[in-house]
Amino acid sequence: MEDKCVDCKYFDNRSALIESTFPGLNSLSSAYGSVWAESGICSLNELFLSPWRRCKDFKHIDLDALP
Amino acid sequence: MAEIEAKKAKPMGWTELYLKEDWWAIYLGLGITFLAVIAFMNGSPMLKSLAINPGGLKWTSLDQLFAHFANNYHLYAVQFIAWLVILGISTRIMGIKTSEFIGAFVILYLLSMVSFSIGGWASAGNYMLEPPFVALLIGLAIANVVPFPKWMDSGFRVEYYIKTGIVLLGATFPLRLVLSAGPVALFEATVISLTTCLTIYFAATKLFGLDKRLAAVIGTGGAVCGVSGSMAIASAVGAKKEDLYTSVTLVVGWALVMILFIPFVSNILHLHPGIAGAWVGTSEFADAAGFAAASSYGRLAGNEDAAIQGFTLMKVIGRDIWIGIWSFVFALIACFKWEKEACGVRPPAMEIWWRFPKFVLGFFVASLIMTSLVAGYSPADFKALVKPGLFGPIAGIRTWAFIFCFLSIGLTTRFKELKSAGWKPFFAFTIGVAVNVTLGFILSAYVFGDYWSKLGQ
Repeated sequence: MEDKCVDCKYFDNRSALIESTFPGLNSLSSAYGSVWAESGICSLNELFLSPWRRCKDFKHIDLDALP
Repeated sequence: MAEIEAKKAKPMGWTELYLKEDWWAIYLGLGITFLAVIAFMNGSPMLKSLAINPGGLKWTSLDQLFAHFANNYHLYAVQFIAWLVILGISTRIMGIKTSEFIGAFVILYLLSMVSFSIGGWASAGNYMLEPPFVALLIGLAIANVVPFPKWMDSGFRVEYYIKTGIVLLGATFPLRLVLSAGPVALFEATVISLTTCLTIYFAATKLFGLDKRLAAVIGTGGAVCGVSGSMAIASAVGAKKEDLYTSVTLVVGWALVMILFIPFVSNILHLHPGIAGAWVGTSEFADAAGFAAASSYGRLAGNEDAAIQGFTLMKVIGRDIWIGIWSFVFALIACFKWEKEACGVRPPAMEIWWRFPKFVLGFFVASLIMTSLVAGYSPADFKALVKPGLFGPIAGIRTWAFIFCFLSIGLTTRFKELKSAGWKPFFAFTIGVAVNVTLGFILSAYVFGDYWSKLGQ
């Protein structure tokens, strides 16, 4: 696992979540298309980010904490 | 582990081939094209039957309309099942719930039939009631008066339908047109995209003191490919969620205005459909909205092909395919100029490919295949055999994909759900819209008017 956003516990890039978070996005675009390129939402900093980005707040997903 | 997998989407590899709608649009578009070729070679009317719709009836009494359905109900039944199965399976693989998709698609199909039927009225043209407009208006009325439940958006897949339609369009799009008019479209689109983006960016940052990231997000939303452009640039520069909310609202709002404005003005000025299509291509913000505008005006002016060709050359080839480069450049600017130490990682050049709208490849492949296949026919044989027997069914099926798209735009646009954009972003974006529309008209109608007015012949 690398310390990129895509591996961070604060990052969520599910297509359905992206479309429900941004009302109107699916009217003229889609989170299931190539242009989306797995971008996601950082719940810590409230940012919309590419999965390859990194930042000082990175936290690995805590597998043990999951039920 | 399952929860992790459910939360994270990390394709960017071969899995993209079955998880992204761009690829499914290619499979579907090319698959239908191959079926059409096989049917044509064997003299089978199978695909022609499946392309049926009441949009071209020119009925003058409801009896005629009902008689059409009574005579062809079995074809419509097969057509409905074919769409439902193909789209249902593909969306399921992409991760969309089948139960939700089926419920929504039944409604979508029925409303499409209504839209075609209204557009097929003999006097529809007098009231600008072309099927694309009708579908859009029906969708908007329902979404904003008695909206369907939100889960039904699972079946209102605007982008999937328009991408499939564009690949099918490639099958009837002469490759020589891409090669001859493509460079002109590319030049014109580049001039307008750069001018619009810089206008919005500097209006936002210098006139209204807005954040650079927000300026970049709305700038590319207005200049490149609307909401998709905004989404790509927002993630490339690490914009706030609010920045994307703002851009979505601005783009959707202005895109709907332009769907009506450009055909309306084109009609008053009696613009050649090719010129109007090119103008829509420079000044509409999204593929789906642009096809609605171009198709409506083309039908109104009696040459839909010219309007669609002009729009496709300008928007799809001139603007859309460069989104990856825009995204990469803005990621570099954000990383090395705006963030510096905080950036953390150099933007990968692969960003250009990751964000490339892959369905455009399907458009080119379809065009290449069909242009090669029909190259041996004389102009007379082409007109007598190929056009009605091969291109006609493909165009008919494409019309269905487009009508699904136009209805879906309306059905998913709920004005009260859109977030407030704020006055400063609104004015910055609107300045860009004014520049874009004016420059797009001048370049399409005057500077390159000779090129665009030759389309559709």
